[in-house]
This record gives sequence, structure tokens and C-alpha cells, in this order.
Amino acid sequence: MSVATRTMAMPPVPNREDLDATWKYLEAGVSKIMSNLQEGMDMNTYMGVYTAVHNFCTSQKAVSNSNHGVIGGAHRGAHLLGEDLYANLITYLNGYLKELVAQSKTHADEALLSFYIREWDRYTTAAKYINHLFRYLNRHWVKREMDEGKKNIYDVYTLHLVQWRLTLFSEVHEKVMEAVLKMVEKQRHGETIEHSQIKSIVDSFVSLGLDEADPTKSTLDVYRFNFERPFLDATKAFYQAESKQFVAENSIVEYMKKAEIRLQEEEERVNMYLHADIIIPLKKCCNTALIADHSAILRDEFQVLLDNDRQDDMQRMYNLLSRIPDGLDPLRTKFEAHVRKAGLAAVAKVAVDAEKLEPKVYVDALLEIHTQYQGLVKQAFKDEPEFTRSLDNACREFVNRNQVCKSGSNKSPELLAKYTDILLKKSASGAEESDLENTLTQIMTVFKYIEDKDVFQKFYSRMLARRLVHTNSSSDDAETSMISKLKEACGYEYTNKLQRMFQDIQISKDLNSGFKEFESKLLEPGDDKPVDASYAILGTGFWPLNPPNTDFTPPAEIAKAYERFQSFYGQKHSGRKLTWLWQLCKGEVRANYCRNTKTPYTFQVSTYQMAILLLFNENDKNSYEDIVKATQLQADVLDPALGIFVKAKVLNMTNLDGSAVSKDEAEKPGSNKTFALNYDFKSKKIRVNLNIAVKSEQKQEVDDTHKTIEEDRKLLMQSAIVRIMKARKKMKHTQLVSETINQIRSRFVPKIPDIKKCIDILLEKEYLERLDDDELGYLA
Amino acid sequence: MAASESTRITLVSNDGAEVHVERNVAERSMLIKNMMEDLGEAAMTQSVPIPNVNESVLKKVIEWCEHHKNDPPAAADDDSDSRKKTTDIEEWDQKFMQVDQEMLFEIILASNYLDIKPLLDVGCKTVANMIKGKSPEEIRKTFNITNDFTPEEEEQIRRENEWAEDR
Repeated sequence: MSVATRTMAMPPVPNREDLDATWKYLEAGVSKIMSNLQEGMDMNTYMGVYTAVHNFCTSQKAVSNSNHGVIGGAHRGAHLLGEDLYANLITYLNGYLKELVAQSKTHADEALLSFYIREWDRYTTAAKYINHLFRYLNRHWVKREMDEGKKNIYDVYTLHLVQWRLTLFSEVHEKVMEAVLKMVEKQRHGETIEHSQIKSIVDSFVSLGLDEADPTKSTLDVYRFNFERPFLDATKAFYQAESKQFVAENSIVEYMKKAEIRLQEEEERVNMYLHADIIIPLKKCCNTALIADHSAILRDEFQVLLDNDRQDDMQRMYNLLSRIPDGLDPLRTKFEAHVRKAGLAAVAKVAVDAEKLEPKVYVDALLEIHTQYQGLVKQAFKDEPEFTRSLDNACREFVNRNQVCKSGSNKSPELLAKYTDILLKKSASGAEESDLENTLTQIMTVFKYIEDKDVFQKFYSRMLARRLVHTNSSSDDAETSMISKLKEACGYEYTNKLQRMFQDIQISKDLNSGFKEFESKLLEPGDDKPVDASYAILGTGFWPLNPPNTDFTPPAEIAKAYERFQSFYGQKHSGRKLTWLWQLCKGEVRANYCRNTKTPYTFQVSTYQMAILLLFNENDKNSYEDIVKATQLQADVLDPALGIFVKAKVLNMTNLDGSAVSKDEAEKPGSNKTFALNYDFKSKKIRVNLNIAVKSEQKQEVDDTHKTIEEDRKLLMQSAIVRIMKARKKMKHTQLVSETINQIRSRFVPKIPDIKKCIDILLEKEYLERLDDDELGYLA
Repeated sequence: MAASESTRITLVSNDGAEVHVERNVAERSMLIKNMMEDLGEAAMTQSVPIPNVNESVLKKVIEWCEHHKNDPPAAADDDSDSRKKTTDIEEWDQKFMQVDQEMLFEIILASNYLDIKPLLDVGCKTVANMIKGKSPEEIRKTFNITNDFTPEEEEQIRRENEWAEDR
């Protein structure tokens, strides 16, 4: 019967109590597994070896001098056998591995790698088998030893690894590593290698890492020490040598391309055959050798690239230097300086004649630089916030401190506000709505950099007032959009007045229609048709306007209308005082007297001019004194108004005695002059605009604006100081100054002496008091 | 049970008897499981010699494996306190262990050899329950042990273990 034969074919399991016989039997099995596993293993041997181990470990004879035959144990608890087997196994492995070491000496380089890998695979496969066959030893003797905290006792599989490391690895690892590094170097030189070999070596080195403290865990120590370290050293040496030579023979731009490729290659190398753990140190190593060591010359090249606008190369440099710590800071500094220089140069180019500088030209020059370098930041520097900040710093510098702003930083906000005014004013060109919106957005870009935002606010509100009063704003939408942009940038307070001005005009529209109704009811049949007029009620606190500084008697022709409006308004809002801003009023008069035309001319004139012209309805000639008497106007207003008439030849000016005025007085009206209506007036246009602001007036206005800015600043500083002190009650002088600067900085940059002056004023007014130790106190 | 799907293997006891068993039942034994893994598919056609177990014990062990073939694998932490402390045995296992003392010890030895930890546990617990609550004299009687201590030795052991006395 077949069963019987098989049973007999089973090798005789040795006497369980005979160590030598048992080991001899086991050794035969183990060696077969070690060297001949590929031929397969029969079940009888497998079961035989397992059983022999089991039987030996459960034999009772080896229990030394135990005469107490209690079940499976000696005097105190069970005595587990196996130490002898364990020791014999170690001896066997030692011998086997020593033999391998000897064999390895005949191999070198790639052959050595193949040898190592082949033997490693064979050995670890065998170890897995043997671990199973010696499982009984693992379960009992090894477990007990480990539970008792004995060092250097491992389960059978781990024992194999430990022995490999002690006996073989310690002898050959340097040579193996040498071979590995040679291969890697070959690959770095562009040769194809069989990189799976290196992968196997890495895996083997990793497997050998055992945590001495806890054998169930593995560590990367062995790998780190014996693979990673030499690998990194070799990498560093290789790239140091290569980069040094390459830099000497090629341009920096070429070098950057090379370095980029090399870095990419090393990253791929990790994926191909290295342990993932090496990524960070390898990167660091390459970064040092390829970038940090050459960072100085790279940075020197940056200026050249900037000057030539080499975006791609700058991007390359950015990418490289961003890999090393603090690599980009010097670039940012250079970039900032460069942008500032470019900005200043652009301003200098347009600022040949600062007085006549067109606002548009100036703002465009600023914008062009900003747009150019913002594009660069986006393209080459990944829109990195730090670079954006450098750009902002540079822009802030050249926007506020350049050739145009020599006298102070007021010029930029002034020009910017003027440009905005030009854009928002009704114009012949009539820019597209969307274009306008874009330009306004660009305005805001410059606005962001303006330090003296209060100056912009002043000019802007003046010009807005003018646009609104003269109803020559291009569109309500554009105005609203601009105001909301400013609000977004500076907050509600900044635009509060602007918004109120806008509202006043809207309210006035309704008011006017209400007045028309009121007026029509008032008229009796036969009355003259009332003057077609419209009125705007402007809140005193919100508009940057002052009452006229001259007396004025309005002409009888409009007096009635204005009295009616006054009573209408008085009914509607009793107790409100109306101040007439005659200097801003205007009207149209028709000249029916001219001989040269059939269609009468229409003169567009200011109210003052109107009052003058209407005098000539009574008399063709009026002396200067007559005019003063009738209108009550002061010379500084009257003279320019008359001057325009004379210049435009609406009126002819003569001396009192009728003689012609001398040449140097030709356009200077004054006492002793007489004015006569020119019946031969000629003009190409039917509508003649005589309401022209004179240059000197404009200049005057700018100066006024600047003056009010200074005044407002003082108030702003004082109110900030009071606010701070109210909250803090007591504060050191220096602290107060810096806190004040903090609060005000969003509007303008205050000067410390100015703040000190304001503090003194407040001390005088007894809002504050001096305390000991340089402290100030708040007086409620 | 859907046993018909499973491959059957043949075990041979040390007294030459063949026992046919489903592979997954046999693999309750870690020894057999590891061997199957190591030797591969080819090994399954050979019969497996079990040199340390006789037919009747092997059959008994396989009966247990059959019943427990769908048990979840033991938790990784198989030294957990619950396993150590409790002497509770589930009903089927209790009945299963109602055998003569000699068979009981044979089962324990076989499960140790074959590396069937849960069965080894059940066996040891059964023995523990036989000892529990008994005086030394009763224990000696139960397991047929001759008292070879001298009275002095016995006294010393008693003193050393005083702390463990119940009351």
C-alpha cells in the first residue's frame, strides 16, 4: 500500500534526546534549503525537520538534574529547550556566510553586485523556510528568552538577517557600495545601466536595519549609514566638480539650464531606484552643490537679465534660487532697486518741463513701469507675494519721490487727480465706457501707492465739485464707480463727502422740478416768462467751496427769479440759510445787436459777466466806475471778467476821453477806462464761450488747495492725538508720536516736528497736560 | 456547508491511516498552513505525513478544526488578558473535551505540535478547570500523581505560596 511506503520513505527522525544526531539531521535539511531550494523540497524533509525541532524541544532528558518528574517541567515552571539548536544554527550560518565572503572576493564591480543580489535573494528565501521549520523554537524558547528581556535573541528569520549583517555585510558593503556608485556615475555620464540592481541593493540594505531596542521594528540606520551617506558624498563630489568646470566654460544662462536638467534627473533617479527616504537629503545635497555654491555668480547675472528683460532666464534663476534657503532675498533687493530706477528714469523722461507736464503723460509713465514689472513678477516669479511686495515698495518709492515731486510728495496725487478729472469730464473724444472703466482701475493702481492720499482727496473733491456744478461730468456711472473704488481702498470716511456731493446734485434735480411747478402757479397772465434757470443746493460742510469774496448786485433781469427761488426754498426748509455762490453761476445771453450776422450770437458767460453785459442794454457806453457802481464787484473779479470781453472784442476799451489805450495797457481794464459795445463783433461760432477761467485763477486754486491741505492735516493730527489720549488717558510722549503716525499713515506720512507742534497746541488748549517722566495726560 | 468547493488534501497519521480533509480546515494548523505556502500547489497532490500524531487523535483534532473552520483569525495581540484569564469554554468545545484524560493530553500535545493555538488554549483551560478549587491532595488524585515531597519541602512550598491562598 502506497501509504505504507511513503511512511517508510520518511527519513528517520532522530532520537529526540540526542543533540548531535538531531543537529546533524537538521543541518542536512537546512543546507539543502540554503543551496538547493530551486530543486524543490519534498514534504517528507519538511515535516521531518519540523518534527525534529519539535521533538528536541519537548524532550525531557536535556532537563538537567531534574528528579521531579512533574509533567513537562522542572522544579519551578516549565523549562524550555532550544538554546543548543539556536547556537548550532548560528554556527552554521556563520560558516555558510564566511564561505560566501570568500567567494565574493573573486568578484568586483557589476559582477559583485550580481553576486550579492543573487546570494541575498537565495539567503532570504531560505531564511523564510527555515523560520517556518523552526517555528516551534520561535514559539517557545525564543519567545521566552525575549519575554525575559534577553538581548541579542531574535526569531529565526531575523537571526538570519542579523548574521548576514555581522558576517557578510560588514565585510563586503564598502565594495558593494563602490560598485553602486560607479554605476550611478556611469549613468550620470549618460550611459544606460541596469538600475534594478541598485534598487535590489537598496532594498537589501533597508532590510538589514533592525531596531536594537525593539526587534519587531525596523530602522533605516543601516541603510542611512552605509548607503545614503556614501551616496550623498559621491553625489556632492560629482556635482561640485562638474559644476565648477561647466561654469568656467559656459555662460551663466547655459549653466542654469544644465543645473535645471541635473536637478530633474536626480529627482527621477529617486523614483527609479532609490529609497524615498533619500529625497530630502539628496535634494539638499544637489541644491548645495549646484546652486548654493554658485549663488553669488547667479545673482550677479540677475542684473544683466533684468537689464535685457530675459524673462525665461529670470524664471529659471528664480526656480533655482528658490530651492535654497534665503536664495531669493538678494534677487528681491535687486529687483526692487531696478524697478525703482526704471520708474525714476521713466518719470525723468517725461518731466523735462515739470510745469507743463500733462497729467496723462505722467500717470501713463508710472503705469507703464508698473505694468511691465507686474508682468515680470507674474511670468518669472510665479506671482510670489514677496516679489509683489518688492514691486510695491519700488513703486511706492518712485511714485512718491521722483523728479516731479522734488518739492514734496504732493505733486503725484495732484497730477493723478487731474488726470482722473480729465477722464471723467465730458470730452469730444468720448472714450468707450469699458475703456474708461479700465483706465479708472489703472488709476487706482497708482492711487494705491500714493502716500499723501489726503492730497488726492482734496484735489479730487474740488474737481468733482466743478464737474458737478458745471454738469460736465461724462457719466454718473463712471463717477459712482470711481467713488466706490476709492471707498474700497480707503474706507467710508474718505469718500463720505464725495458721496454727499453727488447726492446733493441728485436732490437738486427734484428740487428744480418742484420749483418749476411753484413758479408757474405764481405767474399771473401777462407776466414776463420767467428766466429759465436751474439751481443746485450744496451742503456747506461737504463741498470744498467758499462764498464769494466780493459783493455783488445781481442784475434786475435775474433778481426776480432768484428771489422767488429763495422764498420757495424758505417755505420748504424753514430756517436754512442760503448763500449764493455767484462765482460759480453762469448763464447765456443772446446778442441781438450785431450787424454782421442774421442769427444772433449766444454768449456763454459767468453771472458776473452777465451783470456787466446787461448794463449795455441801457447804454452803449459805460465807464469802469459805472460798472463798479452797478455791480458792486471788486477789482480782482471785475478786471479779469472785463479783460475777456476786451480780448474777445465784445467790448471796445478806450480811455475816458475816448482816446485809444496805450499798447501796454491793451488788456488791462481799470479806472479811467470806458467800455463800448462792439456792434461789429464777429465770430466763427454762433455760441461763444466767454466764461473762461484765467490761468492765474487756476494757479491760485491749486495754491489754495495746498494751503487747505496743510490746515486739514493739522486738524487731522490733532484729532488723532485726542482720540488716542482719550482711550489711553496717559502716555509717553514718544509713544504718542509713533501711535499718531500709525493712525494717520493711511492718509499721509506725518512729520514728527508737525506732530510735536500739534501736541503743543493741544497742551495750550488744555486738552492735554504734562505729567512727570515725559508723560502726557488727557484732560477731559 | 460549501465544503465541496475546497481542495482536499490527505494527511497520514503515524500509524499509517489516511485522513482526507479540506485544505482550509487543515490550515487551522499553522504548521500545515506554512508548509502549503512554502511548498506551493505541487505539494497538495502529495499526502502529508504527520509523524507525531496517531489516527484517533488526528481525527479528533480534525473534528475540532472542521467545527471551527470559519472562526475569525486570532487577534494580533493574542496574549490579551481576556484570553489568559477566562476559563470560560464555549459549549461545543466543552462537549468536545469530554474525553478520557489520556485523550485530553494527547489533544493538547497534538495541538501544540500542529500549532493550533485556539485548540491548545481550550485544552489547557479544560485542564485548568479540572484543577480549580481542588486541594493538593485532590489534584494528586485527579491526575494520579504520587506525592514525592518530604513534609519539610511541602511546608516550605506552602509558606512560599501563602499569598495565593483564597482565604
